[in-house]
Amino acid sequence: MRPGIAVVVPSWASPRAAAGFLVALAALAGAPALTDVYTHNLLTLTYLSVSGALAWNWMGGFAGQVSFGHAAFFGLGGFVAARLLLAGTVPAWAAWLAGGLAAAVVALSAHPVLRLRGPYFSIATIGVGEAARVLFTYWEGFTGGASGLSLPVAPELKLQLYWWALALLGVAVAGSYTIRRSTLGLKLLAIKSDVEAAADVGVSSAFQQDVTLVLSAGMIGLTGGLYASYFSYIEPNDMLGFDRSISFVLMAVIGGLGTILGPLLGAVVFVLVRQYLLASYPQLYLGLYGALLIAIILFEPLGLTGLLLRLARRFGYRDRPDLAPGASAVKPAPAAAERR
Amino acid sequence: MQRVLDLAVSTVLLAGLYATMAYGLGLIYGVLRLVNLAHAGVIMAGAYLGWLLHLELGLDPYLSIPLVVAASFALGVVVYLALVRHLPRGTAGGPSSLLLLFGVWLVLRNAAYLLFTGNDQVIRTGYSIRSLALLGGFVSLNRLAVFAVAVVVPVGLHLLLQRTFVGRAIRAVAQNADSCTLVGVDVQRVYAFTFGLGTALAGLAGLLSATLFSFNPSFGASELLKSFVVVVLGGLGSILGTGLAALVLAAVEVFAILVLPSYLTGAVGFVMLVAVLVLRPGGLFGQRVLA
Repeated sequence: MRPGIAVVVPSWASPRAAAGFLVALAALAGAPALTDVYTHNLLTLTYLSVSGALAWNWMGGFAGQVSFGHAAFFGLGGFVAARLLLAGTVPAWAAWLAGGLAAAVVALSAHPVLRLRGPYFSIATIGVGEAARVLFTYWEGFTGGASGLSLPVAPELKLQLYWWALALLGVAVAGSYTIRRSTLGLKLLAIKSDVEAAADVGVSSAFQQDVTLVLSAGMIGLTGGLYASYFSYIEPNDMLGFDRSISFVLMAVIGGLGTILGPLLGAVVFVLVRQYLLASYPQLYLGLYGALLIAIILFEPLGLTGLLLRLARRFGYRDRPDLAPGASAVKPAPAAAERR
Repeated sequence: MQRVLDLAVSTVLLAGLYATMAYGLGLIYGVLRLVNLAHAGVIMAGAYLGWLLHLELGLDPYLSIPLVVAASFALGVVVYLALVRHLPRGTAGGPSSLLLLFGVWLVLRNAAYLLFTGNDQVIRTGYSIRSLALLGGFVSLNRLAVFAVAVVVPVGLHLLLQRTFVGRAIRAVAQNADSCTLVGVDVQRVYAFTFGLGTALAGLAGLLSATLFSFNPSFGASELLKSFVVVVLGGLGSILGTGLAALVLAAVEVFAILVLPSYLTGAVGFVMLVAVLVLRPGGLFGQRVLA
């Protein structure tokens, strides 16, 4: 690796962290032996949310393009998978994969929108997302219209889904690290910091974002497919609704935009809070998250991850200033500069 | 032919409402350089306030305009002073301002849900179903009244920005906030006033919409998108441009029913939004600032 690049690779992405992650995955894979069916299913849902939040974060956090329309990919993946599952010709995993692929291919058509930056991009994604929802709601031949599609109930598959979802989570986390450590991750950081400066050094913002969006949409589509199997009933206004898009944004921002730990934590908190605290007040949850969003933006832009970092620093953890997770600017490494 | 004439009349009437929605969004973007996602929430809040005044006090929606405008103005000033003021300025503040105001929208939406439940409401007055013969067709009296307000608003806004001291301060701050600080303009106060003015216009638009359409706590989302289309299309700072853009959007939406199946007309606005943003990227907002 060239000098100067290594500096950007965060210390917490060390082999030790990878080993810890694998141990955690193995422990979770064995967890169902100890849990009841309710917890089992709740964990499945949590894993799916984590995967979705991480995939959204590739675009929203790494590239700095806050999308309010990712539900379109989620819904597309979900409905493609559901149609294939209903046809019953392919195994479930192939149906989910097809859903993900469909979303990834369709993501290519978003190319023109990727020229937009900041608020323009975000607002355009609201338009794309809503247009997709309207289209899917009236495309009855494919989506069953407003009454949706019911999948055959398969209790066996639903139990197995736990490990599939866990594997998906593993892929999402590993994918996040890989993107972060790759040149793509560096280019995205550059684009996020300053598109024009990035273009000056030969980073094509449109192309890098195309790649990122295809990956992100594919992952979200895959998640949508598993989600369809999980609920065995899907309808366009839920799958492609604005609230669905918002949930990806909220999970990532609450956890910590642009970090890897963040969307993971955010999704866990999001699902658990929704399930336990607000089960009896479902109408409260959006306002609560809105207030949380305001507090996070004003006081701790890195969300829960930022709070954890503060806590860690209090106990003596010292991060090098240029290594803060999700730092929007990559500072040149002085040591590397001197060596040259 | 008569059908086309009818559609043309509804286009003009609808355009008035769209323009009223868009002024506030454009004003706040032009001066503070941020996209006010809470615009949708304020439109919804204005609708509910007018509805409440009509229901509880029997106040005619057109008589409650000053109250709704004043309340929305106060709401905007409070939101600015309590929240928006603390955001980092400049390009770095982009996503965070978006998310912050989005949070405000969520809170407003949820507050309305708790106060008024999720049921659809509408302001119904004695003249809601009265209509006038016009150009061979019939036009709802209420739509005409909304249009009349929509004509008064840009004139008032123009006079405020061009003829008053505070209007001059707003235009100056929009051009160069730093220089304004140097010559002793209290920029924060101007920002707070502008934000309040923008939300006051949003509240007014909400009130007017409430006399025409049914609304619930989620109301305002598509209005926000339409406002955005108008602002982008019309370019910034030109009140006339905003009016023309509103006319274009309304015409596309209204005449779409001639060529598209009715269930798809709902998507026309969204498609147009993306098309406008993509085909004329940049440069659109970057035009003359409140000249």
